[in-house]
Amino acid sequence: MPAKTWKSELAGRLPEELDREIDLFEGQIALRKQGKMDERLFAETRLRRGVYGQRYDNGLRDDGTGPKPLAFPCGELTKGPDTVWDAPGMQRIKIPYGKMSAEQLDMMADLAEELSDAILHVTTRQDIQLHFVHIEDTPDMHRRLASVGITTREACGNSVRNITACQFAGVCNDESFDVTPYAEAMTRFLLGHPDVQEFGRKFKIAFSGCDDHPCGLVTFHDLGAVGFVEDGKRYFKVVVGGGLGAVPVVAKVLAEKCPEEELLPLTQAVSRVFARLGEKQSRARARIKFLMQKFGIDELRRLVEEERKLLREDPRWTDYLSHLSATDEEPLRPGGPLALDGAPATFRAWAETNLRPQAQDGYYVATVTLPLGDFSSDQARVLADLARRYTGDTLRCTVEQNVALRWVSGADALALWEALDAAGLGAPGAGTIADPTSCPGTDTCKLGISSSRGLTGELRKRLTVLADDPVTRPLHVKTSGCFNSCGQHHVADIGFLGVSRNVGGRKVPHFNVVLGGQWTENAKSYGLVVGAVPSKSAPEAVEVLTRAYQEGREGDESFQAWVQRIGKGTIRKLLEPVSKAPSYEEDPSYYRDWGDPREYGTGDLGVGECAGEIVPWVEFGLTTSEQEQYEAQDLYDAGQHQAAAAKAFASMVTAAAALVRHLAGQVRDEPSDVVAAFRRHLVDTELFFDPFVKGKFADYFFRAFERRKFETDDPEAVHALLDEARLFLEASHACYQRLGATPPPSAAGLIQPAAE
Amino acid sequence: MTITHAERLQVKLYASATPPAGEDLVPVFHRWIREHVVDDDTLIDVVDYGHVKDGPGVALIGHGADYFYDESEGRKGLLFFRKRALEGDLRGRLQDAFTRTLEGAARLEGEGALDVAFGRDEVLVRILDRLHAPNDDASYAALEPLVREVAEAALGGAVTLERVGAGTKGPLSVRVRRA
Repeated sequence: MPAKTWKSELAGRLPEELDREIDLFEGQIALRKQGKMDERLFAETRLRRGVYGQRYDNGLRDDGTGPKPLAFPCGELTKGPDTVWDAPGMQRIKIPYGKMSAEQLDMMADLAEELSDAILHVTTRQDIQLHFVHIEDTPDMHRRLASVGITTREACGNSVRNITACQFAGVCNDESFDVTPYAEAMTRFLLGHPDVQEFGRKFKIAFSGCDDHPCGLVTFHDLGAVGFVEDGKRYFKVVVGGGLGAVPVVAKVLAEKCPEEELLPLTQAVSRVFARLGEKQSRARARIKFLMQKFGIDELRRLVEEERKLLREDPRWTDYLSHLSATDEEPLRPGGPLALDGAPATFRAWAETNLRPQAQDGYYVATVTLPLGDFSSDQARVLADLARRYTGDTLRCTVEQNVALRWVSGADALALWEALDAAGLGAPGAGTIADPTSCPGTDTCKLGISSSRGLTGELRKRLTVLADDPVTRPLHVKTSGCFNSCGQHHVADIGFLGVSRNVGGRKVPHFNVVLGGQWTENAKSYGLVVGAVPSKSAPEAVEVLTRAYQEGREGDESFQAWVQRIGKGTIRKLLEPVSKAPSYEEDPSYYRDWGDPREYGTGDLGVGECAGEIVPWVEFGLTTSEQEQYEAQDLYDAGQHQAAAAKAFASMVTAAAALVRHLAGQVRDEPSDVVAAFRRHLVDTELFFDPFVKGKFADYFFRAFERRKFETDDPEAVHALLDEARLFLEASHACYQRLGATPPPSAAGLIQPAAE
Repeated sequence: MTITHAERLQVKLYASATPPAGEDLVPVFHRWIREHVVDDDTLIDVVDYGHVKDGPGVALIGHGADYFYDESEGRKGLLFFRKRALEGDLRGRLQDAFTRTLEGAARLEGEGALDVAFGRDEVLVRILDRLHAPNDDASYAALEPLVREVAEAALGGAVTLERVGAGTKGPLSVRVRRA
């Protein structure tokens, strides 16, 4: 008797289009296995199904003594460039605006248990991710997801990613109106739309029902829509060109007052302009923020308006407007008062941070705090059952990696919490300093530099006490393992960005400390790096900063205002005691990352017997560059924007010159000479190239020089230059680490002295 | 009966007395990767999920199978998860899983610094294959004799079986106890 398959089991029960797409994907897997499909094409194909790479999928793993090959049985077969077929990967599951039903959550729990490691992970963009999934298991996974109405289509790749929205939409006290049906309509309209298939990079969209609160975070999205009402009519302020990543950009207003019926066509027009004019060759400059920078917002607006005129009328633009209530939720139980008197103290503590009154009397949104965004399959089933019992299908993932249960009757809150607590889901502190968020970092991400999850896990343990103090409780702490910023550290009060440093010839995991970001007003402004601390000192850095804030703040001064007032120079002095890693002999624990007993990256670097004593000259140059960047930031904070730009550029020149001298021996200090020598010795040779983004950071240096960015006094442009200078310095550190304290003879032998 | 096609299954032995904390297993599992202690599979990574209550604990991810210092049910134990298909049928896969779980337990017990011991009197078997082995009475009826046969051979004596999680959305599960 032939074995059953999920395909046969679910035949006739899947939406026809999804069924066909999944069959096609399964066929493409077979073609790739037979060598009949190019690996690059296959990689983009699987990415568009949400089938993503994961750390060590290049078949190499550093076991603490150096990179070692992982022997997978697939041999040479790959699922993309440098991506071994058998290496486990990550499945991203799009959850539009974070909304999921109990049935869907049950299904994801089953899939996590059977095909992953029994953990569901909520991302900062309201997705669910499963890790350690084999590619050959993905078609059946997609079928089972489709059977409960979930598609993974366009969850990754150069496509419109999960459309996010405030988790309080529809139940919020101060929203203009519920943006849920608009997010739903846009999700359906753009999914698979021909106008969004030719992007050079991903495109992220977010909705918010108000301008003031950060739940939607529209300002760092490629396109954001903020709802408002005027004279009884609904409009959206549409912003475009925002993004975090290496150099964060605040989105600019494309349309101040877009009528609701124009929202989809306007987005379609933006998509067509982006597809037609966006960068296609260089991934590093392919997001729409670069198109906006290239043309300017006014010209981009004109192009979009011209494009809009060319669009053929599509009934989907407005059909949904006649049934906006289709996404409304009905409460399962009658509303009731929340009784705190006489309730257990632990419940009251949870209610204070995790229960938020809805606009509807007697109802609350209960936020389930998930440590690091993780919950188990067993916990997921508990959550689904609690939703069925108390609220109906009203679960939403949040951008702070939690899950919200909406429409909880006040009268049920205690019983709900007791059930949550019994399942290990009753922790308080949602949205407080005790609830830091993190990207996957080195745990599973192939781009991670430092262990953002490891640090965040440690912070969770240590910061609980700070949540008791009303001064520090509202602070947000966010951590990214690399410059791609998936942890959204730019908009945290205290952000951490993973970097590595060389100390005595050994790599030490570090985090840049990023201060001054603004979480409120839809993440209105971004923070700047004030310095780097060893990973193991990062918790102390938080303690130092919060203590100084508690003691030094004036009145009800916000953390951001406090940072601005006392200045980054003072903050650097505060951090000085925790900024230096001890020598390896003094404390080797600094040379390992959080939660990882392996020595950090020593396999890439030979350690000579004098490594702990000799400081190569290049390190002085990189240190000087760092100091110049601090000065640039101080100048920026003082409003001396042009001087800040000049200093930031000078720091790039210093770092570049240090590397050139390390390799080639000599170069004059004139920027033009340094640029030429740097290009010749480090870029043409690809020695400076980042393994993933290649020459992106060198381009920052060249463009700053060629476009004379150091002369600008535009605050926004200077802010961007400061970010670019920081990334260039980080890339210089990384390059130096790759080269080793002594340049490899092969490199030195190839390089001629710099032309003078 | 389709249950014989079931491919993914777990076997768990419970830690006895005062088990070590999960984080103590992290360096051990990393060393197992470095030393290739499982000679017919590729061990890939270690993940610590200690922050998830009663969750999978510390995972040693492999290509064909994973090992967990598992914390589900609020009880620590060594859980072996066969996730990539082995040739043969469910009986063979169960035999393999019992063997590897017992070997893994012995190996951990040999890690002197850990001071961990696993009982051999109680075993949890879970079939993680809802296609071929849904959690229903028919599946359990087909599974029960297979588990009994394999468990008695592996544990060296008669056993009693108890179905676990009947009527729940969890996987088909059976608790084995030495008689």
